[in-house]
Amino acid sequence: MMYALLASLAGAAEPTMEELLLATDDAARGDQSMAVISMQVKTDRYERTMKMQAWSKGTEKSLMRILEPEKDAGVTTLKVEDNLWNYLPKVDRTMKVPSGMMSGSWMGSHFSNDDLVRDSRLSEDFTCAFTGRPADSGGNYVITCTPKPDAAVVWGKVAATVRPDKVPVQVEFWDEANVLVRTMAYGNVKDVGGGRMMPLEMTLTPHDKPGEYTKMVFETLDLTVQLDDGMFSLQSLQQR
Amino acid sequence: MSFLVTVAWRNLWRHRRRSLITATAMAVGVALCMASIAFQDGMFDLMFQVMVEQQLGHAQVHHPDYPGKRVLQDTLPDADALVARVEATPGTVVAAPHVQGFALLGTETRSTGALLVGLDPARELKVFPAGERVKVGRFLGPDAAGELVLGFKLAEELHVGEGDQLVAVTQASDGSLGNALYTVVGLAKTGSAQLDRSGAWMHLDDLQSLLVLDDQVHSLTVISQDVSTIDTYVAGLRATLGSDTVEVLPWSEASPQAAQLIGMRNFSAGIVLGIVFGAAGFGILNTMMMSVFERTRELGVLKALGMRPLQLVGLVLVESVFLAGLSATIGLVLGGLLDTYLVTYGLDFSASLKDGFSFAGIVMEPVVKGSFRLGSVVAIVAALFVVSVLASLYPALRAARLEPVASIRSE
Repeated sequence: MMYALLASLAGAAEPTMEELLLATDDAARGDQSMAVISMQVKTDRYERTMKMQAWSKGTEKSLMRILEPEKDAGVTTLKVEDNLWNYLPKVDRTMKVPSGMMSGSWMGSHFSNDDLVRDSRLSEDFTCAFTGRPADSGGNYVITCTPKPDAAVVWGKVAATVRPDKVPVQVEFWDEANVLVRTMAYGNVKDVGGGRMMPLEMTLTPHDKPGEYTKMVFETLDLTVQLDDGMFSLQSLQQR
Repeated sequence: MSFLVTVAWRNLWRHRRRSLITATAMAVGVALCMASIAFQDGMFDLMFQVMVEQQLGHAQVHHPDYPGKRVLQDTLPDADALVARVEATPGTVVAAPHVQGFALLGTETRSTGALLVGLDPARELKVFPAGERVKVGRFLGPDAAGELVLGFKLAEELHVGEGDQLVAVTQASDGSLGNALYTVVGLAKTGSAQLDRSGAWMHLDDLQSLLVLDDQVHSLTVISQDVSTIDTYVAGLRATLGSDTVEVLPWSEASPQAAQLIGMRNFSAGIVLGIVFGAAGFGILNTMMMSVFERTRELGVLKALGMRPLQLVGLVLVESVFLAGLSATIGLVLGGLLDTYLVTYGLDFSASLKDGFSFAGIVMEPVVKGSFRLGSVVAIVAALFVVSVLASLYPALRAARLEPVASIRSE
């Protein structure tokens, strides 16, 4: 109470933890969105760049279509709740990704199929506490979160670094043995409309594979689209 | 010397019935040993065939990092040229190139992870005949035509059969999403439970294009003319190919597990020999002890007449060698008959084990045929003679130490 009073006296509204977590959970995503994303994957074994178009509605439905390179063009991934299907234009077939394959890489990136499906949210599935304030953490808030007992989460601990203006800087992920596994860093913060600041670049670095990363750059991001539910169906997968 | 032999021979027939019973018992031991070892040899030959010849080959050629990590990109480049070089090495029968990769295999309604193996059908058939492997349908054709042979358990799981189409989806070596459509032409029963459940075979070129591995392979399975001299052959191959990027391993090093399992052959044959001849040894000991005891007086006279202790030892030993020779002759005839049956017809376990049985991941056919190895027979006969001599040493020494006067007075 006293703190809030002081903050308001200082003239700047202090963001609540809830606001900061929501901003992190919904980085580069709105209730409905359409984006063109380029993805650069660098591994020890190969380096590749892809371009894709992505649509999402809420957290349960999304569709991603590869535009480039030529070889993969048209490959479309549909996510509805916990299910994942890939449409393969070359053989004109839709294959559901079986549970045994969920830990596999998505399109050769450092994202697994599970990452696409298992949308754990800091604001819902974790118990969080501030572990850093702007004064002592380089001007940013640091929030450290541990999963709630019943949450289906693979991480042991997650720490989000968020700017006071509610833009995520980075999120670090530890496994259950408390080993730092990967870092998602956010960059290229832009006004995406209506004064809403969002990062349009995300880089995922796996710490067990030095030198490797997957970088996603949002070339366009439209948060005002109205998408029909029918778009996220097997029928529409085949039609594209 | 000829005197000893004559006396020993006569002694043997003084108790015709006792000698014959002992000889028959030992002969049955020899025959059972032969049969049991022929059966074991048959099992081990089958294991060697399935684990080594069909999967590893006599020697493996691969990228040094490949066996441990099985990373898709750890390949041997210029595969065609490499195969030609290996096949030009003296002692080579065939070098069969293989590419392997995991993929999602399935129809739109059912899919599962599978191990795809790309091979050169013409060369593969020299490793072992298609008829041994494909139970339904046919083996891959000579050219790359999108054909697939599936492990029969995998086919059951996917609910597909001959003529059905399957999609394979995998992450190719360049990170792209490899996907293609294949037609099932045959179902395989490999003898390996794991491969039956998850293996799928296709033409090398088909898999290379799916995985974006042009003219690269993961391994060569090499069959040599004589697996018993494999170390010399491997040394020669290493001299030809050896480098930091090409490793050549004999099968025993490529799969220490298989080597260990196959190495049990001698151990388990040893156990059989030990049990049978341990028992036979006591039979001989008994016969020779009896023979020495009842001739105490006679041996005493011989000694009094000037026969030296060493000659007495010789007398008893020669007698026991005759007994062993007699046993061996009868035993070889009996054992030969048993072996002939086992090699020709084998033992049929199909009444109790309809689908064959599995041992250490190897699925055996329900009919196991014996295997006749001259070496095993020689070992059995040698064991018989060694045991006979060892078992009669004690009676022989007793005979040698007889006190002439006391012996003559006895009875």
